[in-house]
Amino acid sequence: MSSLSRFAGKSPWLYRINAGSCNGCDVELATTAIIPRYDVERLGCQYCASPKHADIVLITGPLTTRVKDKVLSLYDEIPNPKVTVAIGICPISGGVFRESYTMSRPVDEYIPVDVNVPGCPPRPQAIIEGIAKAIKILESRS
Amino acid sequence: MPETLKLIFQVLVFPGGLFALCLGLCLKGFERRIRARLQRRVGPPLLQPFFDLAKLARKDTTIPEGAPACLFSALPFAGVCSMAIAAAMIPITGVHLAPAGLGDILVLFYLLAIPAIVLMLAGSASGSPFSAIAFSRELSIMMAYEGPILLVILTIAIRVGVSQGGWIALSLNDIIAYQQRYGAFLFDPVMWPALLAFLVFFPANLGVAPFDIPEAESEVLDGPLLEYSGPLLGLFKMMSAMKAGVVIGLGIALFYPNAPGGALGLMCFVLKCFVVSSLGVAVLRTSMGRMRIDQAFRFLVIWPGILGLVSLVVVLWRY
Repeated sequence: MSSLSRFAGKSPWLYRINAGSCNGCDVELATTAIIPRYDVERLGCQYCASPKHADIVLITGPLTTRVKDKVLSLYDEIPNPKVTVAIGICPISGGVFRESYTMSRPVDEYIPVDVNVPGCPPRPQAIIEGIAKAIKILESRS
Repeated sequence: MPETLKLIFQVLVFPGGLFALCLGLCLKGFERRIRARLQRRVGPPLLQPFFDLAKLARKDTTIPEGAPACLFSALPFAGVCSMAIAAAMIPITGVHLAPAGLGDILVLFYLLAIPAIVLMLAGSASGSPFSAIAFSRELSIMMAYEGPILLVILTIAIRVGVSQGGWIALSLNDIIAYQQRYGAFLFDPVMWPALLAFLVFFPANLGVAPFDIPEAESEVLDGPLLEYSGPLLGLFKMMSAMKAGVVIGLGIALFYPNAPGGALGLMCFVLKCFVVSSLGVAVLRTSMGRMRIDQAFRFLVIWPGILGLVSLVVVLWRY
């Protein structure tokens, strides 16, 4: 079975969690996925609809208090091995929403974040680089 | 005893099980690449479906709370087994004859319904509201396409049967022998309504756009497969790959089985599969949106139904 593990990095399925994002990063993620110019499918990536199918989790947004529990239970549903990528500045520090009373703590205090892709929003190239790093981590984990 | 061994080999290795699986996965990889090229993308490697399976084999399996674990994990096996048997029943001209021990075209017709039933049960066993929606959609779309495809099969069986002196021929081998002798139905205008009905049935059965309503990712989150993960999900992927091979193979056997014998015949069969898959699946998927379930139901009941009836009446009248 261990010989199969080298294929893990060739088929990373991406799952998006919007943890209270303003949708800017989500638009960039959609751009990364849909526009032919940044074709991530050539890396074997696929956006999947169900958290049960996911390998790489992309979290956008500052983790508001309202969605915190839902995000955590969603994260638990994703089967191992999994890699987490935090997209945008919000999961790191809260970004422009930093001072707001609706914010929880930064995402990495609740969920182990493997790759941070800062930016508001990050460029598609940066997101693809983050995914490429996550693929390396995924390979080492499976 | 050797007969039994031969049958087991046919179900497990060629042309069932292993061969059908490899063919189906290659078709899928090819189709994804064609689709990417049509959208001016580079697209995934051709072996991508194999990589996906290898990865899924290493993932954890989760069984949702409240789901009947036994049924939940047995269903994908049932689907793969039914498709392995169905694949063994598809004759490949000059290479493989449908074994008599497995039954005729009606048995194949029932076996083809099993993946849909498995998906429905899987959806309802998952206990997720999205899967429940997918369950009802799968059921209504299946009810819509089963009738017309039976008409198509009946048309062809009667035409071949009458020529044999009887009135109906239910063996795929006879159907192929008839076409080898008198020319393929693909080039016979009398059979074109039936061919059209089959061409509509084919994306509906495979769950390809515009009929991918039960598995719609953006609406019901992969529908029946929502709660499946890891190896069990991999089995479902295997099932759908094999099903693509079986349905395309059935279409080839019914309408254009003509091929030389031996290895050349096998190559012809594989080539035809690739052509049908890239024209029928990749182009359709790229160019069509998704229908609503009520639109699809009406479309699938009316048009293939009319076409099937027309071809049946014409064949009954002429032969």
